Amino acid sequence: MAERTTLADAGEIPVTSTAKYTESVHEDATARAFILSSIGYFFIVGIVALLVAAKFLWPSFLGTIPMLTYGRLRPLHVNGMLFGWLLAADMGLMYYVVPRLCGVKLWSEKFGLATAALWNVIILGAVVSLLMGWNQGFEYGELPFVLDVAVVVAWIMFGTNMFMTVATRKYQQMYVTLWYMMGTVLWTAFVYLTGNFAALLVTGVNQANLNWMYVHNAVGLIFTPIGLAIAYYFIPKTANTPLHSHKLSMVGFWSLAFVYVWTGAHHMLHGPISQWLQTIAIVFSVMLLIPVWAAVYNFFATMRGQWHQMRDNVPIKFLISGVVFYLLTCFQGPMHSLRSVNAIVSKTDWIPGHAHMAVLGAFSFFAIAGCYYVVPRMFKRELYSDALANWSFWLFLIGGLGFFVTLWLGGFWQGWQWNNPSIPFIDTVVNLQPVWLVRFFSGVLMFGGIAAFAYNILATAIGAGGEKATDGAAVAA
Amino acid sequence: MLRKADNSAVAFVIGALVLFFIGGILTTVVPPLVDASWSKPFENSDPTKGPTGKLKPYTELELQGRAIYVREGCWYCHTQQTRTILADTKRSGWRGVDSPVSTPDEFVYDNPHMFGTKRTGPDLSRVGGKYDEQWHVTHFRNPADLVPGSIMPPFPWIAADPAESKALVAYLQTLGRAKDWRPDGDFEK
Ligand code: HEC
Repeated sequence: MAERTTLADAGEIPVTSTAKYTESVHEDATARAFILSSIGYFFIVGIVALLVAAKFLWPSFLGTIPMLTYGRLRPLHVNGMLFGWLLAADMGLMYYVVPRLCGVKLWSEKFGLATAALWNVIILGAVVSLLMGWNQGFEYGELPFVLDVAVVVAWIMFGTNMFMTVATRKYQQMYVTLWYMMGTVLWTAFVYLTGNFAALLVTGVNQANLNWMYVHNAVGLIFTPIGLAIAYYFIPKTANTPLHSHKLSMVGFWSLAFVYVWTGAHHMLHGPISQWLQTIAIVFSVMLLIPVWAAVYNFFATMRGQWHQMRDNVPIKFLISGVVFYLLTCFQGPMHSLRSVNAIVSKTDWIPGHAHMAVLGAFSFFAIAGCYYVVPRMFKRELYSDALANWSFWLFLIGGLGFFVTLWLGGFWQGWQWNNPSIPFIDTVVNLQPVWLVRFFSGVLMFGGIAAFAYNILATAIGAGGEKATDGAAVAA
Repeated sequence: MLRKADNSAVAFVIGALVLFFIGGILTTVVPPLVDASWSKPFENSDPTKGPTGKLKPYTELELQGRAIYVREGCWYCHTQQTRTILADTKRSGWRGVDSPVSTPDEFVYDNPHMFGTKRTGPDLSRVGGKYDEQWHVTHFRNPADLVPGSIMPPFPWIAADPAESKALVAYLQTLGRAKDWRPDGDFEK
């Protein structure tokens, strides 16, 4: 009961996670289905990622097979990582977290399992259509129309389950994770409809504008709020310490709700789109610093006095490095929207460096930390190997840093060359070869991280380590 | 009061949606209403106002070519916009003449739009008329044969299929040609 009072009074999550709380009430069938399948896609799509990176070095590698050409594997990589791995893992974590924050069981596990099944059908459908080249021609909106409709249905199913769980909650106060989760459900619905349905009704610049509103907000109003929902839950939870400030988390939330949606046109700076719209997008992009710094300050202040845990708590390592990457990527974003910086980095390899730091460095790190925390609890056994988990962290971190840093430096240099028209274009391609080589090997390291992570989780799920401790106290440590 | 709203899921839903829709509507619905050039095809017959010309709808063949461009993901490596950046107008220029900057009215018939975000290869917004069909087909077969060091993937299945390569080339030749800007014509003359 004590923990509930803390929750209701201070807007904190219960700090003493006891086995009783985690183990008996919740079935977690839906959470398991989402999380395990998402990790499967993480691994498979990781292989695709390596193929894509290899094609920059050896362009004719697998090049005579239409299905394996760059232009088909790249969307498979992007959609597979975003929707097959990251969003599905995030949804799985929500199926785990939300009932616990509400003090009730998930509204319906059956409905949840049906959602997981539908989600898997969508992902498999996406793999087939993208390899076949059935591509709608919009970035992030590649999937054919039927699958778009299925995504909407699945999202409504997910949202219903979440909102019904919140509606029947026992604790009156809603912890900030619930806010971000509900925001994600609502905004995603409209952002997705804009990008995948409304965009089909118009053409040209008008369509591009809707497309960029969607692309930008797929990151800003889907992956950001759901990623923050996860960070806000797991940072205090894994460090076993209360959140620094509920109020500050609200400031972050409402400024995010207001600011993000204005910025889509910054994807077309200097391009054929109205100047005034570009200026609005720039102003609001800079204002993004507010929600970002509010969240990051809150996370760091929460960790005050707990930094020693960085030494051997693997989920914390992922979470805190994720926060640092979040801070960096969200500093870069507003900076690129300044016209002078944009003139150099836009359309270069800097941009994939930036995008990967957001969805891999920040949001995937949060999701991985969440998986390491919840999977042992859902399957009621200890993690198969702590050492392997630690390996996965270092592989991800070193691979990730190698990837980001070389692409920024390389991309900046590339943009510099492009701005000097006396350098023939092909020379700027040849000059980037060393950058792409480092990128490929960084990718190999990250894939090692994925493999270690996936193996560890799978081994935990099937109980490969034998039935060690199922004792609550040990599990919750 | 604030505390109460803080605990209410209904107040939350209303707040989150209202804030979202302010920015959402002002940046998506309003701009095309304010800015006519987003939906009016380019047309100019007065040389003092810049390049002359007229944007024509795509033919059946060009649309087939466009579909191939979408299918093969050419747009992941090529942008189609000459931006308001000096180097862009030089790079897509021709024999010392800078290419005109892209304007919204040149893209009215584009669906899906192909502006692109990444330049692994050069911008194609003014490539129409730069090369002849023979060049393009040879290039599709193996780009590095024509441009050593190229990392554009080979597309032998397009080069080997006369219908496909004809359509794709027909589409590429339309790019940027609503504006009549090349000094003494192009390869065709
Ligand atoms: C992996 C990235 C990539 C993909 C995919 C790609 N290209 Fe390219 N493309 C390049 C690069 C790099 C160059 C510059 C070197 C060269 O000319 O081959 C180029 C050059 C070109 C040029 C010559 C431009 C000029 O001004 O000289 C054309 C035309 C072209 N590509 C058309 C296409 C078409 C059509 C497709 C799809 C069927 C396509 N490209 C797919 C990377 C790509």
